[in-house]
Amino acid sequence: MKSHRIDPLTCREAVARLDDYVDRELSEAEMGRVREHLETCEACAGHFRAEEQLLHQVREKVRRIAVPGGLMERIQKRLASG
Amino acid sequence: MSVVDSAPGVERQPFESLFTPLLSSAYGAAFRLVQNRADAEDLVQEAALQAFRAYHTFQPGTNFKAWFFRILTNCFISRYRRTKKERGDVALDDTQDLYLFRRTAEAGMHGPDANPAQALLGKLDEEQVAEALAALPGEYRAVATLYFIEDFSYEQIAEVLGCPIGTVRSRLHRARKMLQRALWQVAVDQGLVPRPAAPEVS
Repeated sequence: MKSHRIDPLTCREAVARLDDYVDRELSEAEMGRVREHLETCEACAGHFRAEEQLLHQVREKVRRIAVPGGLMERIQKRLASG
Repeated sequence: MSVVDSAPGVERQPFESLFTPLLSSAYGAAFRLVQNRADAEDLVQEAALQAFRAYHTFQPGTNFKAWFFRILTNCFISRYRRTKKERGDVALDDTQDLYLFRRTAEAGMHGPDANPAQALLGKLDEEQVAEALAALPGEYRAVATLYFIEDFSYEQIAEVLGCPIGTVRSRLHRARKMLQRALWQVAVDQGLVPRPAAPEVS
């Protein structure tokens, strides 16, 4: 496949892709454009790092939930009784 | 309780063997959706019962987790959103990009090794972060719960919620911004960060 020269992203364009970039939901070509911008823009790189760290820490904190003892048994009983 | 009727070509596993490994994540998601243990347990039990009854419609070889979570979120939407008062503490107006980054910077919380996430999240315990998530309006909380707790991709969230992937993308984008605003508000309310002197920016 031929590669085409594409204009570098501005900071505004990079930030507009922030969510999709940290979630790996951009195409490979778009991921590459954002990476190129981050390599040359320390301010945006800092913003992106902060966003990734924030998401990671929120995940860590909201995931710790203990399942009540005996829940599976209560569900099995309910399914058995229809 | 096993359902073992086979589909052509793919062996149908007993319902229990597919459901049991999901119990922990299903309960976790339910708890974040309804915010208390009794309602979370009811929600999981109701979803399990509906899934069990509808198991003959599940296509063996497809994604059971996405199938089950679709039932779980539908139960949440039909049973809870109509009966429980939506908190919806977070304004739906547009919050600026990089909200927390800006607020922590304004509050002088960026040290030489600036890590705004650590600066704020390090001050909040699990319940306070959950409180911020609970402040999102229901449809945004559902997307955020599937995203943060289950690590579903946009495509999987779309499959669970039965909506276009573009809707997931836009809801999740707004949910993340609302969550940043809610996290900051929780920290302000708890006196963990300086209360803003000027009117809050949107």
